[in-house]
Amino acid sequence: MAIDQVHDLQQVYRKILHSMSRPGTISSIQKNVESVDYNLPCYDATLLSAMTLLDAEVTFHILSDNQHDLIEKISDYTLARFAPIDKADFVIVLREDTEATIQQALEQCKDGNLIDPQQSSTWIIESSLLSNNGELTLTGPGVQHTAQLHTSFSTALWQARNERTKEYPIGIDLIFADEASQIVCVPRTTSVKLMGVN
Amino acid sequence: MKAETHFAFFDEGSKKEIRRAIMKAVAIPGYQVPFASREMPIARGWGTGGLQITLSIIGKSDVLKVIDQGADESVNAVSIKKLVHETTGVELTDRTEDADIIQSRHRIPEIALTKEQIIVLQVPTPEPLRGVEAREYITKRMHSEYDYSGAWLILFEQIMKYGKTATAADHPVYVNHRYVMAPSPIPRFDNPKIHQSDALILLGAGREKKIYAVPPYTNVESLAFDDYPFTVESFEGMHCHLCSGADVFLDELIDHTTGETIYQCNDTSYCMERMNENVNEKEKAEVEGSYA
Ligand SMILES: [Zn+2]
Repeated sequence: MAIDQVHDLQQVYRKILHSMSRPGTISSIQKNVESVDYNLPCYDATLLSAMTLLDAEVTFHILSDNQHDLIEKISDYTLARFAPIDKADFVIVLREDTEATIQQALEQCKDGNLIDPQQSSTWIIESSLLSNNGELTLTGPGVQHTAQLHTSFSTALWQARNERTKEYPIGIDLIFADEASQIVCVPRTTSVKLMGVN
Repeated sequence: MKAETHFAFFDEGSKKEIRRAIMKAVAIPGYQVPFASREMPIARGWGTGGLQITLSIIGKSDVLKVIDQGADESVNAVSIKKLVHETTGVELTDRTEDADIIQSRHRIPEIALTKEQIIVLQVPTPEPLRGVEAREYITKRMHSEYDYSGAWLILFEQIMKYGKTATAADHPVYVNHRYVMAPSPIPRFDNPKIHQSDALILLGAGREKKIYAVPPYTNVESLAFDDYPFTVESFEGMHCHLCSGADVFLDELIDHTTGETIYQCNDTSYCMERMNENVNEKEKAEVEGSYA
């Protein structure tokens, strides 16, 4: 069964919107992933998130140097164009990407400006299994008290992310996706504290 | 539904652009995200901004409620419901608690909204600083520099003139301690409902091409001075002549036979629910009474 460009993508969008409005809230897009009949070197949830948000009006970047085929496929499916990290509207991080590569990209990506803070990059990041049993404590808009979260982002990467969001409203918004087709979001407004780190 | 029409009226490209704008709006609470507003088959100023949001987020399993100034059956609400229903087939409801998406003009329902609901508010004038500055690039700069002296000046002038802040509706709010935002022309009575709301609040202005949002559990403060605190419309000692509801937003009416001033719930579906409950309770009491 193929992806229904209208209904599957609407359902995935609402899950992403729900999670973006409620940082730390994990949503499942398992039902829609069952429609994915592509065999690509990325998670089905990554592909569905990209198909939901990308089109000819936006650009994307993939960190890895040896994913020409995936870049071509995503361009074909969404009509979005590939762009360098400092120009891309969406940044896609695959499981194979190294901490050093991601860290460098976090430093170089678009984060908007005070006049147009929306001209920033949105990240779609592949993570090991996401859970609410974790080392991160989230607070901020969308979080009623606090939320706990576990992602595969290291302490150094969260510190790099926090560095890019400290001049709010300038910042970046993150969508994490895992192999079990779960997604969770951490927008720029979220304060992320790491256990044992000040 | 005709085969050639798109689900939810828009082509997928239009939806994606609006969906991306909504995501940024959620990530930057109270900030007005520009978007390429589309021409809609309803008159401008009749909620095209809200309608574009609703059409971009709605899915076939959603239940939709549309209200205009508290009423589900106004011409405006009916024409919006008709357009959405004809292009999506979604179920419509008047019951606030049964709706997944509530599109509203000038009110937030009396019943507390839930985590699973999204309220879409129609906005005629999204820029709270427009009264002090006509030029968009200047108001954008004021927001960027956190320069809200103009917003305070408007309130100060009202106090000088009327002895109180005279904003009948659309009283400006601070969102997440950062942006001053026009909450749309809701009465001041509804402003506290935006603060730490369980539901996601999306706002759309079609003519001005802006989308903005207040995520759930976000701090929202109405602008006020220490010596002139923010107050909501008071209905103390008054109640609805139909359902006897109090602590709700009441409309003032004149009883045509007696010429007296009477009050009625502005939120018609809330009033109907209460009247039904009152009838049921009365029937129950009568049934119980007949067994006594
Ligand atoms: Zn009533």
